[in-house]
Amino acid sequence: MTGLSKYFYIASTSAKSNVAYLGEVASRVIFLAVILYIFLRLWQVTYAETGASELGGFTLAQMLWYLAVTESIILSAPRITQMVDRDVRTGELAVHLIKPMSYPLYCLGTSMGERVVRFALNLGVGLVIALIFVGPIPLQPLSIACLLLALPLAFVLDFLANFLIGLGAFWLEDTTGLVLIYSRITMILGGMLIPIELFPEAMQSWLRVLPFASIVYGPAKMLVAPSTSALTELLIIQSLGIVGVGALVAIVYGIASRRVFANGG
Amino acid sequence: MAAEIIEKEQPVLSRLRSYLGLVGAYTGFNLKSQWAYRGAFISQMFAMAANNFVWVAFWALFFERFPVLRGWGVKDVITLWAIAATGFGIAHTVCGNALALPWLIARGQLDVWMLYPRALLSHVLLGRMSATACGDTVFGFAVYVLFVRPDLPHFCLFAALSFAVAFLFVGFSILTGSLTFFLGNAEGLAEQWRFSMITFSTYPATLFEGFVKIILYTLIPAAFVSYLPIEALREMSLYYSLLTVLGSLAVLLAGILVFYLGLKRYESGNLTEMRG
Repeated sequence: MTGLSKYFYIASTSAKSNVAYLGEVASRVIFLAVILYIFLRLWQVTYAETGASELGGFTLAQMLWYLAVTESIILSAPRITQMVDRDVRTGELAVHLIKPMSYPLYCLGTSMGERVVRFALNLGVGLVIALIFVGPIPLQPLSIACLLLALPLAFVLDFLANFLIGLGAFWLEDTTGLVLIYSRITMILGGMLIPIELFPEAMQSWLRVLPFASIVYGPAKMLVAPSTSALTELLIIQSLGIVGVGALVAIVYGIASRRVFANGG
Repeated sequence: MAAEIIEKEQPVLSRLRSYLGLVGAYTGFNLKSQWAYRGAFISQMFAMAANNFVWVAFWALFFERFPVLRGWGVKDVITLWAIAATGFGIAHTVCGNALALPWLIARGQLDVWMLYPRALLSHVLLGRMSATACGDTVFGFAVYVLFVRPDLPHFCLFAALSFAVAFLFVGFSILTGSLTFFLGNAEGLAEQWRFSMITFSTYPATLFEGFVKIILYTLIPAAFVSYLPIEALREMSLYYSLLTVLGSLAVLLAGILVFYLGLKRYESGNLTEMRG
């Protein structure tokens, strides 16, 4: 296998492996159901107390469908930081380095394969729950198309950020703290809990251009309010984010690879 | 057996003192062990505090837009987060193994604790300290003092209720973890149940009605974290404080009962390992 095809093969193997353990993955959806129910109640009470039919341009049904997508994105995130951290600490990285493939691209393939399966399952369950709780929302083929186009770059950008944190294992005793902080910042500044439209106005403009929103808010908004101009803007922000974080990864990985010392076998 | 006979001969107060000594000794050793890797310990504590702070920031943003939620304001929700974090933090700072109970039971790793004097459960629970739980404890007290700015009576009641909530969390972890005795490997189920408890504990219980409210006082006893202690602090109410304490003790007793019932079904892992 040559070029990029081997990494697609790795992604497909990772996806198949996750499908084989679908029962284990499915058991995690109970949490998704609990969190969606809590948010349904939170927003039901908020809409009732304000007497508004729309908040930030979202009806209650749209809000829950939006939350089903944002939760699915966040909950489908593979533990890539822990994987890189482990490889660095155990020295397994040295074994990867002698293989005829790029270690970051190998991790990207594994991560994408796992994420696609987890996301599909979470989204399926999340949308069924949303359907049961608040009924359907008007969906056009454009909504699905925009969501599907916005997701791959969002996943790549999220992977790069997590991989970068994982590389911190070369210098830090523990990267758990950093990844926890990153995931929480993505949740709040990315619009997982509240759509960007409901943030204070002064914050909205800069939140939209940060990479966090292009991982979570951007794709989710595409499902409930699709627009080709918003999609173009989102893809540009995602691409710029990938170039920026990707460059950082390349620099840090270059420095880190020179610190690999293998002893014995 | 010998340990049980010795314990039965001791007066209650003396036994209590003896167990408090055990708690102190284990906590001291665990803290020293964590401090050996102080970089990781401090970073995990800081990360957990930062994680909790992000949630408080979410609520601050929410209440800036919608100032009142079923009669609760931002200070009430911050109090809720403070008490949940402090209670959970104290519970797993002292009893860090409570979260690992399903894993220990499923792999037959209780054997080693059975050889020690005093009750088995105390050694198992106290055997480890969670670094992130220390972060929860520090965060809980700090956020309550800095943002709610309580007077002395409120602070004392807050501290007392946090200990009650800590007993509740320990009891709940024992209860869910002990399912492994009956169901085989119940790690996934225990984790999901615990996640549900933690999640419901960090949202105002006033949001929920009907059947779900009944669940929050029984199957997922989050109302003893997210409603009763907050009402006790809002009104400085002895009645709500007592209900919180009674609920916590009930969950703790249920957990202990289920653990010892399940222990009769326990099979040794026959695992040989070195312990430092």
